[in-house]
Amino acid sequence: MNVFTRARAHAAALIGVVLWLATVTAQDVLPGAGRRVAWPDSATAIDRGLRGASRGMRKASEWPARRLPTTARYLPGSIIVKFRLGTSSAARSALVSLVGGHSASRPSHATFDIVTLDTAADPEAVARRLSLQPDVEYAQARYRAHPTFRPNDPLYSLQWNFSTLDMERAWDINPGASSSVVVAVLDTGMAYTNIAFDLTQTRAQAIELGEDETVVYPALGTVHIPFAAAPDLGGPSRFVAPYDFIWDDTTPVDMDGHGTHIAGTIGQLTNNSVGVAGMAFNVQLMPVKVLDGFWDVYFESPNFGSDDIVARGVRYAADQGAKVINMSFGREGSPAPVVRDAVEYAVSKGAFVAIAGGNEFLDGNPIPRFAEFATQIHGVVAVGAVGPDRQRAAYSSTGTYLELVAPGGDSSRGGVSGMILQQTYDFDFTDTFIFGSAAFRAPRFDVLENIYYEGTSMATAHVSGLAALLYQQGITKPAAIEAAMKRSAIDLGPAGRDNEYGYGLINPRAALRGLGILR
Amino acid sequence: MNATNLIRYTLACALACAGSIVPATVSAQQGQPARPGAGEQVSVRGFGDFAITRFAAADTFNATLGSASGTWFGGGLEVILPHGWLPNFFHIRVSHFAKSGERVFVDDGDVFPLGIDMDVAITPVEVSAGYRFPPRGRQRNWIPYVGGGIGWHRYSETSELAEPGEDVSETFTGFHALGGVEYRLGRWYGVAGEAQWTSVPDAIGEVPGSAGNAFDESNLGGIGFRVRFVIGR
Repeated sequence: MNVFTRARAHAAALIGVVLWLATVTAQDVLPGAGRRVAWPDSATAIDRGLRGASRGMRKASEWPARRLPTTARYLPGSIIVKFRLGTSSAARSALVSLVGGHSASRPSHATFDIVTLDTAADPEAVARRLSLQPDVEYAQARYRAHPTFRPNDPLYSLQWNFSTLDMERAWDINPGASSSVVVAVLDTGMAYTNIAFDLTQTRAQAIELGEDETVVYPALGTVHIPFAAAPDLGGPSRFVAPYDFIWDDTTPVDMDGHGTHIAGTIGQLTNNSVGVAGMAFNVQLMPVKVLDGFWDVYFESPNFGSDDIVARGVRYAADQGAKVINMSFGREGSPAPVVRDAVEYAVSKGAFVAIAGGNEFLDGNPIPRFAEFATQIHGVVAVGAVGPDRQRAAYSSTGTYLELVAPGGDSSRGGVSGMILQQTYDFDFTDTFIFGSAAFRAPRFDVLENIYYEGTSMATAHVSGLAALLYQQGITKPAAIEAAMKRSAIDLGPAGRDNEYGYGLINPRAALRGLGILR
Repeated sequence: MNATNLIRYTLACALACAGSIVPATVSAQQGQPARPGAGEQVSVRGFGDFAITRFAAADTFNATLGSASGTWFGGGLEVILPHGWLPNFFHIRVSHFAKSGERVFVDDGDVFPLGIDMDVAITPVEVSAGYRFPPRGRQRNWIPYVGGGIGWHRYSETSELAEPGEDVSETFTGFHALGGVEYRLGRWYGVAGEAQWTSVPDAIGEVPGSAGNAFDESNLGGIGFRVRFVIGR
């Protein structure tokens, strides 16, 4: 299964990795391979902050707190008036009386007056009348400003993706959905719990990294591998119905980091003075592991991320009540009717599905399976990626199937900071296999940091996050969620739908705001 | 101006008109050659009214405001000419409709309320002319009339958390036809029942991101039934 993550900040060797098992021994069942729980719920995460960045970041207190929205646009019973220079006190009083005002007073640090009115008076109408007077420079109602929600997560300023989507104003309308909305993250698992496994491998494993490189890794024997919940994903109550279809158990820990990163974009805790932010930061997350990573393969998981596993994961998520299903993966090759059937089933159960549009534009732009059937199912969206400049990311596949684009990052134009930053594992501790067999050692999955990824995987997570917000806002049918996203999208590229951007860049605020009678 | 203030304002206008103008009614065409209706008086009178209107954009209003109908309050001034003139009456009316609802999303006929408060107000200024049939036989207190005219409909739409430029305040031009029967309760006052069809084309469905567009409804008019209280002869 091809994980649609284009690159990591330092591990180019893992870009678009396809892991194939080529065991030195035959494919016999190995009693010496596998995993068992060593201890549950005792480990805690080590959070190493931002990878490669100074720890000295802007203090949370420097950002304004959010105020509750209000429908009162202006203060009643008064207006703001600036009289022209030289207007006498008598003239001012006459003008105030003319519009039914009572008094005018000059507040400190102001060049204008506050004119009091009857509380029943219409301040806008009075201001319009006064504005017509020659002695008045301007008059206006005392409109109330409300700060837009700006998360206080210290690394939020590095998340260009959210400012590109104007998320602060979108969060004013819908602050992160709620726990009543469940988003299933079908991926490599998720750093959602504190646990440890004793994993055993008694034979060397030849594992192909990429297309032309096969590395033989030595047997590690029995190793104790700790896993920790990502601190910025929240506590146990945040997660529902976890399941691991790779290991056939209910502990879908992430042995790669991709799934945790995706979960972060969808629902990383926000405004908690920690790390970074997420789109729908109040939803519940359902970790469903349907993809294998290097360590799953090395320790010989009973299943791999094949179509049947993906299909089972999709059905499981729908049956468990997920309202949004994120599929940040795909593959090349023949069509996948089994996955399509499962996705149609999920939509029939009321789940919206977002599917990555593929990262292979520079590799021949093949048709990405799973994404290709999205246009044929209302309630399923295929997602391409754009960079900080809103241009299609160089890797983002194109085609008639593409429906929307979202920030996925583009390091080719924006460098590392042009990628998507979320919390996941520190791969110095997990990807010990990338430097060959000499440096090979057991991984640990309890050291987390904020890392840049890029890919249509990341773009897809944004669409899933928006879907969760829309569901919470009241659009409860998958087809309607898709329609809301498409109709509100910002058209990019050639006018109308096109193969590079689909209907355009998702526009969360416009989608959430919906329709008035006239506008 | 809210509805209550508008009613007060309208009734005050009507009373003022009745009190100041009616006594000053003049004999028509004094000193002029005889014309149709000569000998009858021109009168200026005030009126206040309330109406229930079913909007032409029924689906749009039903989706956003919870009802395809609305209650209006209004009032105005009317000039009655002697019989034989055509038209033999003119009036100008200001009315007001205001209601709160919420923004929605519409897909394939399904309406999804979004919980975002929205206030809508419509304030038409309408000018009408028409013909009042002369009283006949023993039913001299019943005066049927028909007419029509044009109107300028001020439409405003404000939403919770709107940014500058997102709220709407626009004026659309429409036209209307009306008919009714006035019953004279006394020399100086009467009551009328009236029906009015109003068309305000190309008003609300022009913007793609609107409920009117989603329902393919663009007319801000409708059919209304009105009760009018008249002060004056």
